[in-house]
Amino acid sequence: MTVHTPIDSRTSGVPAWALAFTVIVLLAGGAYFGTNLGGENASASGTPEPSGGGFNAVAIMDAAGCQACHGPDLAGVAIFPSLLGVKDGPVSENLAQLFADYPDTWAELWIAGTDPATSDAAMRAGMPAFAGPPYSLSPEEIAAVVAYLKTLP
Amino acid sequence: MAVNPKKLRPYDTPTRRRVPLIPDGPDAAATVFLVAAIVWLVAATGIGVLWAGMQLFPDLLSLTLSVPTFSGTLEIVMSPATIGAGFWNAVVFGWLSNAGLGAILFITPRVLGQRLVGEQVGAAAAGLWNVGMLAGLTAIYVPSIAATGTLAEFPLPVDAVLLLALLLVNDVFWRTGMSARERAPYASVWFFGVALLGFTVLYAVGTLVPLVSDGTTFAALVGAAYARGLETVWVLGVAFGVLYYIVPRATGNALHSSGVALLGWLTWAVLAALAPLAALVDSSVPFALTQAGNAATIMLVVPAFLAIANLLLSLRGRWTLLLSPGTVQYAMVALAFLATTALLEALSALGSVRDLIGGTEWTVGVRFFAFFGATTFALLALTDHAFPRLLRRDWGGTIVTTATLWATFAGTAISGLALIAGGVVHGSLLQGGAAPEEIEATLFWANAVAGSGLGLVALGGLAAALNVFLMYTDGRRAEYAVGATAAASASAGQ
Repeated sequence: MTVHTPIDSRTSGVPAWALAFTVIVLLAGGAYFGTNLGGENASASGTPEPSGGGFNAVAIMDAAGCQACHGPDLAGVAIFPSLLGVKDGPVSENLAQLFADYPDTWAELWIAGTDPATSDAAMRAGMPAFAGPPYSLSPEEIAAVVAYLKTLP
Repeated sequence: MAVNPKKLRPYDTPTRRRVPLIPDGPDAAATVFLVAAIVWLVAATGIGVLWAGMQLFPDLLSLTLSVPTFSGTLEIVMSPATIGAGFWNAVVFGWLSNAGLGAILFITPRVLGQRLVGEQVGAAAAGLWNVGMLAGLTAIYVPSIAATGTLAEFPLPVDAVLLLALLLVNDVFWRTGMSARERAPYASVWFFGVALLGFTVLYAVGTLVPLVSDGTTFAALVGAAYARGLETVWVLGVAFGVLYYIVPRATGNALHSSGVALLGWLTWAVLAALAPLAALVDSSVPFALTQAGNAATIMLVVPAFLAIANLLLSLRGRWTLLLSPGTVQYAMVALAFLATTALLEALSALGSVRDLIGGTEWTVGVRFFAFFGATTFALLALTDHAFPRLLRRDWGGTIVTTATLWATFAGTAISGLALIAGGVVHGSLLQGGAAPEEIEATLFWANAVAGSGLGLVALGGLAAALNVFLMYTDGRRAEYAVGATAAASASAGQ
């Protein structure tokens, strides 16, 4: 059987202290809003806008979970290397040979998964998360991500 | 007249009472949700400990298993990404949502004076929700079937099951509300109504938007707002609803002011819906819209502090309850974390602070305070109050309750503070142009301390589960009679 003991309240009105507190904080919030409208949102897809048919590199990387391993600022965490500075080539030694063989497309190859003949399973699977679909990205999405990464310092 | 069973003919055999596959007794739905919630608390914090370990030693703990199947090979990936996703999903949809839905189905009939309409539907929803959760959590570790996005990693069939369960709970809640004889429902029901409806709409949006525009800026922005909305609308709404019920009920006092509760509900309902706009950070979104979200986040201190003041004033004359382990202690810790979270969220919304801590561990630390501090303690207060009434047994003793409280409190405080401090240091180092190696070395210790705190929270979760187990197996039978005052219940050993 349902226990029903109604909860009473001592008063049904709103005391002056509660009203004053509410008005003060709402006014402060309104003032913050009114005095901080001069800015502009940064592009979620990085600067400059990546090419690639309207794909958003940051959205793709966010969905694929890149920051989970490479850090929120993509500067690397523990064994997971930094993605900053890849405009000059890979920052990891294990990709040096790939860079030497394919200096223009090494990043796309690495993200997509390298040659099936490669002995290293992780390198063969590629990025992200060393796993297959749906974390794997389409060629257009990979192009957008690489274009964005190459804009980073 | 007594019947001698030996003289009964076969056709006289009394019909056996059929036990329905889906329980339909009073409080069946709330019981299933709340018992499952405790199990999920243990599972979620256990995954959390593994995740914390992976932050420190990812190379030691990451692994990929290949499982042969009829249609090829299935890869099971244990990486920081999959374990982290598993942790947050288990916390939000496993622990907090099970306990939140259980709280709604436990409290609503009690404040409306109306038995739940559709108890069996509610119990079926509880079953569906937990089967879906199990499937979804498993799928996260199998990238070939998982979806992507924060708190949106479950595959579509699992989302459909969870959405169906939510619709069933809505059906039960609203039908019960419509048939109640109370003309002016109590504050908790207002909060639950908005939170439940908001959760359902958010979940539907979070499921459907990636289907139509995956990988686009629009989908990413909606996904970010969805994740934030779950926090402000669902998790916070449940905490308010539970605390407004549990404090007056456990103290036996009247609520200080229903007017203040109504004011708090109105401001929360509007501001919680606006706050997720702060996540819409992109050049395609008008800056004023994003700033409206930030201003709403700042103003969310209003409902938080109105609730804290209202409930503290409701404690008048019953302060000694703070000295005994149990419901009131849990509720007071929840209020303390609610105040801290509201202030930290407001601080995070300020532009200069955002510039420093944006994208760092700070955000995770504040989320720890919100999830494991404010809402978890509110829900622990509810379970402390509800389980004796649901299982009709008394708690065995106070030692395990005290252990639950202190381990969870200390763990949440340590983890949250370490991550918040780590976020500030991280932001400062980034602004100072520090090398990645220096940032990594500095943050290692913050992550280590946060991980140890999460370990304490996991111990607290284990203690909570042990307490329920001991009560069920060894607790003294007790009935909480209709109309019993909360004070009498308190003296009966709650």
